[in-house]
Amino acid sequence: MEEEIKYKPGSNVKIYLLLFLLVPVFFLLDLFVGSYYIPISKILQSIFNPATSEPQIITIIREFRIPKAITAILAGSALSVAGLQMQTIFRNPLAGPDILGISSGASLGVALLVLSAGTLFGAGINSIAGSWGIAGAAWIGAGAILLLIILISARIRDIMTILILGILISSGIIAIVNILQYFSNESMLKSFVIWTMGSLGSVTNSQLAVLLPSVLTGIIIAWFSSKSLDAFLLGENYARSMGMNIRFARSMIFLSTCILAGSITAFCGPIGFIGIAVPHIARMLTGTARHGKLIPVSILIGALVMLLSDIISQLPGSEKILPINAVTSLLGIPVVIWLIFRNKKIGYL
Amino acid sequence: MANDEKVISADHLSIGYPIKGSTGKIIKKDICLNAMKGELVAMIGGNGVGKSTLLRTLIGFQPFFSGNIFIKGLALNNYREKELAKIMSFVSTETIHVSNLTVYDLIALGRYPYTDWSGRLTEEDRSKVDEAIQMVGLKGYEDRNVNFISDGERQKTMIARTLAQDTDIILLDEPTAFLDLSNKCEIVHILHRLAYERGKTILFSTHDLSIAIAECDKIWLMLEQQVKEGSPEDLILDGSFSSLFHNKSLYFDTEKGDFRILKETGQKVIVKGDGAPLNWTIKALERIGFEIITNADSKTDHTLLEIESSYPSWFLKSSETREKFNSLYALCRYLMDSKME
Repeated sequence: MEEEIKYKPGSNVKIYLLLFLLVPVFFLLDLFVGSYYIPISKILQSIFNPATSEPQIITIIREFRIPKAITAILAGSALSVAGLQMQTIFRNPLAGPDILGISSGASLGVALLVLSAGTLFGAGINSIAGSWGIAGAAWIGAGAILLLIILISARIRDIMTILILGILISSGIIAIVNILQYFSNESMLKSFVIWTMGSLGSVTNSQLAVLLPSVLTGIIIAWFSSKSLDAFLLGENYARSMGMNIRFARSMIFLSTCILAGSITAFCGPIGFIGIAVPHIARMLTGTARHGKLIPVSILIGALVMLLSDIISQLPGSEKILPINAVTSLLGIPVVIWLIFRNKKIGYL
Repeated sequence: MANDEKVISADHLSIGYPIKGSTGKIIKKDICLNAMKGELVAMIGGNGVGKSTLLRTLIGFQPFFSGNIFIKGLALNNYREKELAKIMSFVSTETIHVSNLTVYDLIALGRYPYTDWSGRLTEEDRSKVDEAIQMVGLKGYEDRNVNFISDGERQKTMIARTLAQDTDIILLDEPTAFLDLSNKCEIVHILHRLAYERGKTILFSTHDLSIAIAECDKIWLMLEQQVKEGSPEDLILDGSFSSLFHNKSLYFDTEKGDFRILKETGQKVIVKGDGAPLNWTIKALERIGFEIITNADSKTDHTLLEIESSYPSWFLKSSETREKFNSLYALCRYLMDSKME
């Protein structure tokens, strides 16, 4: 039994407000959990009145927990907006930010650096390259894929063909990465595998200074593409008949996705599931298809989901930490299943 | 004179699927067709003859091999996308599957060529959208989800979108396919009004011959080897319709204006009566394989059957019998049973 979800204009404001207010709450919660217990009062003190706080608390909060929480917000927002754009342009509800192979490209960059260069320079590759090196390698890999996709997009008219090519390229790259893994030694392998599990905590403040503007740029480009994205809902033929410059619109969307997914993957490793699930949650909550509304809602929901995932990954009460990738999937899947059963169908998009 | 203006003009056009570096596939060569301002034109042709290809070529979705397309006197390739979007709009056969899209939102997308970068609707945009909704009879449906309305209503929504796009030319690919008769007539009626009241040039492809013949100013007849254009009546009278299909058991009845399946005719029968009962009696008898003679001399063969229809009774006279029937069904069953013997 399908139910028609009616669009109620007023209720959106309530949703915005609720989500917006939840963000600082979750942010604070994320600062609160951690292996070293710091009461909330001291957390707030170290932020607003640092002169009166103990230095190690300031260090923990400012150098570790705050960057991590901000990274969580950025990662959640960026991947959600990237996923939303991919789902719209390919008219595919299963599309995510890595559908074009951007994450695989980043993986290849990192794999080449860690796994092969490692054998040349020895086990110290991590300290030589540092996380800047890894980020750079990931970015170059993602950028190379973007270039390839834009070249393909210029020559091929049919968006479905581009989708299939993207998936094939992605698979091919993963195969190459597997080969590199196969020929590397244990410690290299472990470093690489740990990278693939994703980590929000390894982003330093100076890296944040690069990540934050990148994500903002990607989101701004996406925001300016709202009108094109709405038209793409009807498919490329109708969009073309309404006067859209398809090549330009596609390029902007691919560029935004690459900046968003590429930056996050570069600094945090590949983080899955968020980009696919959050746009659907946004659609189900707002009942609208217009991207002018879906983009901000996806940003808010993405941030919340990521903060929540990070909180859970800290396994409050224990010393251990779960890899973020595992948490986003384990958290996200039941949520989406619950939403499907509530609404009886996830919709075509 | 403005009315002589050729709004759409295909000039020695060859359409198909050009492929770089090879010859590609030509579907139809040397097409010369025109549509004038304010005309309702139906494109008729068998499956696979190139109707969709021609429509998609005219709107610029597909490249063509040779020849030219002129829209309002200017070559198609000389138009920029945005300008063309304000002159020509299109309804394709694709079904739209988008969740959360309301009827209003879908129709409002038609304002794309007129809105700024943010897509915000101005007062004028809103009034055009409302007007479009009114024109297709979808008032009250604005907040309905596009996936939860009937096929007919969805088709009207797609047409309303082209109305919101406010173009002089509207091309539609089989807009009446899959619709019931009532919806078919309604859609064509809307198109008719758009041509006559708004002066739009409407070109649509269809398999519904009777509707096209009844409502359209012009038919583009896509035959196997050539294309012809003319008013429906001209094309019927000059026999063009007969060459539409190559099916040997099909023939075009010039009197009635539709296709019939050739049936082996057997016995001749004289039928008397008048009005609708006579027409339908003749139709029923033809269906079961009789050859009808309506104007009979009394000097004809006495072994002929004679049927007199005087609704609600039918009288069957032959050399052997006289029977009365209370329904055409009973009459036909009797005749079929006696044929079996």
